[in-house]
Amino acid sequence: MKERIFLPVILLMLFMLVSLSHAETYTCLVCHSAMKQKIKTETGDVINLWIDEERFSSSVHGFASCDTCHKLFSENPHQKPSKAIPPNLIDMFNKMKPKARVDGVALVACMDCHPDIYNDYAESVHGKNIIAKRQKDGSSCIDCHGSVHYIVSKSSKDSSVNRANVVNTCGNCHNNEEIAKKYGYGLHIVEKYNESFHGKKYRLGHENAPTCVDCHGYHKVKKWDDPDSPVAMNNRKITCGKCHKGATDKFVVAITHKPIGKDNPIPYYVEKALMVLTISVFAFITIHVVLEIYAEIRDYVFRKKEE
Amino acid sequence: MEKEVKEIERFNIIERLQHVILLCTFLLVAFTGWALKYPDVGEYSSWWIKIWGGAKKAGIIHRVAGVIMVLDFIWHVLYMAYRILTGRIKIRAATTVIPLPKDVFDAIKNFLYFLGLSKEKPRFGRFSYAQKFDYWAVFWGMGIIGLSGLCLAFPVQASYFFPSWSLNWIWETIAIMHSDEALLAIVFILIFHFYNEHLKFHVFPMSMIWITGKISVDLLKEEHPLEYEILKEEGKVD
Repeated sequence: MKERIFLPVILLMLFMLVSLSHAETYTCLVCHSAMKQKIKTETGDVINLWIDEERFSSSVHGFASCDTCHKLFSENPHQKPSKAIPPNLIDMFNKMKPKARVDGVALVACMDCHPDIYNDYAESVHGKNIIAKRQKDGSSCIDCHGSVHYIVSKSSKDSSVNRANVVNTCGNCHNNEEIAKKYGYGLHIVEKYNESFHGKKYRLGHENAPTCVDCHGYHKVKKWDDPDSPVAMNNRKITCGKCHKGATDKFVVAITHKPIGKDNPIPYYVEKALMVLTISVFAFITIHVVLEIYAEIRDYVFRKKEE
Repeated sequence: MEKEVKEIERFNIIERLQHVILLCTFLLVAFTGWALKYPDVGEYSSWWIKIWGGAKKAGIIHRVAGVIMVLDFIWHVLYMAYRILTGRIKIRAATTVIPLPKDVFDAIKNFLYFLGLSKEKPRFGRFSYAQKFDYWAVFWGMGIIGLSGLCLAFPVQASYFFPSWSLNWIWETIAIMHSDEALLAIVFILIFHFYNEHLKFHVFPMSMIWITGKISVDLLKEEHPLEYEILKEEGKVD
């Protein structure tokens, strides 16, 4: 009899313990799960204060309390930090300032738990764009992974960096006309991938077809002519060789994202010539067949008696 | 008048076998390659590729069928060369498949007949100009699609053969050649070959020659009068 009561009591106590550890989160969420309006900050940014409690708690960061990342905002109403902010975060916060909108410390707080990834990122073309070139529209963690509040495992189909979505995610910027213009890369990058055998197989669900990240890398991504990039000519034999065993120097030049244009005349004019050939043959055989059908019907109907 | 129904052999068993292998492998490469050419037609592309066991299996079927097709073609060329060199086939104007100036005139005559400008049909030999076109189209296809296909199926091996000055354009070019000419081949077979050989009134819905190899003497007289005359001279038909 005693044992029967004992178990629920243990469970109740466990539940209370869990609740206590999330007390702070729940305090913040009392307001932030209800505030559905957007507000304008002093700097003129329109920000969203609403947190979808359900999605947050089922995200990979659902275990964390708000001040794990929002280190500046722990005391209600977000006045002062309760703990000292680690100096490396302050340092990174200063570097990432151009990107910071409201809570710049939270922007770099990823570094606290994911230091290796963050260091790779800071060295990448995306990281340097913000840190060295001070660009406000450069990509930080959240631009690819989405809001930290709702990040789900990469293996989930809902993840923006899941294999099924990652090409679109890169395309958010690399297929964006304004951004392409500003940074001087063509708009044909995603399009050419989609037209390539890699891209076509990817879209048909071929499980081995490479996406952007399989060749270019992700956190460490570098411009293709950077010698550290996996698609730099010197590294291609290794990168292509992951799938194409024994890749040669002559083989690895096959993939470019260049559009077929007059600057590369042979494919351009071969395509045009084959198009002319196809259309002419098509026209010839269609006219031939249609006329022959006409003649057959005519002969059958009108000339039958003559035979 | 007693009329004897008689048939003669138009294609022997080896030629028929070569045709059937070509037919089967052609359908397989066309069906499995189609989704890759058009991967973005809504749900249809993924539905279609699933029929073939998904993109990976479709790719394997495509390559295997393609290689068999090329081997079939090589077999045919060697077989024909052997028969010509040993005198089993004599090259004569009325029976050869080699294009001759007469074929151009036949085509013009045929168009005039279709349009009602001439009452006379052109008189064909063993192979009409349309059939010659059909036959040599396979050579074109094998050269363009077969070679480019082998390069695409074995890209690392193919790269050994590419001269370094071609590298800027050759990969792009062979991909275009393979895809564009494949479409041309499918359209050609579907319209020209099917209509000419299978869908005309007197054979509709399908000519049996590709299975039995036999053509009736009546049809021979009608469609291949010049060949008929030669065979008659030789006493092979009445």
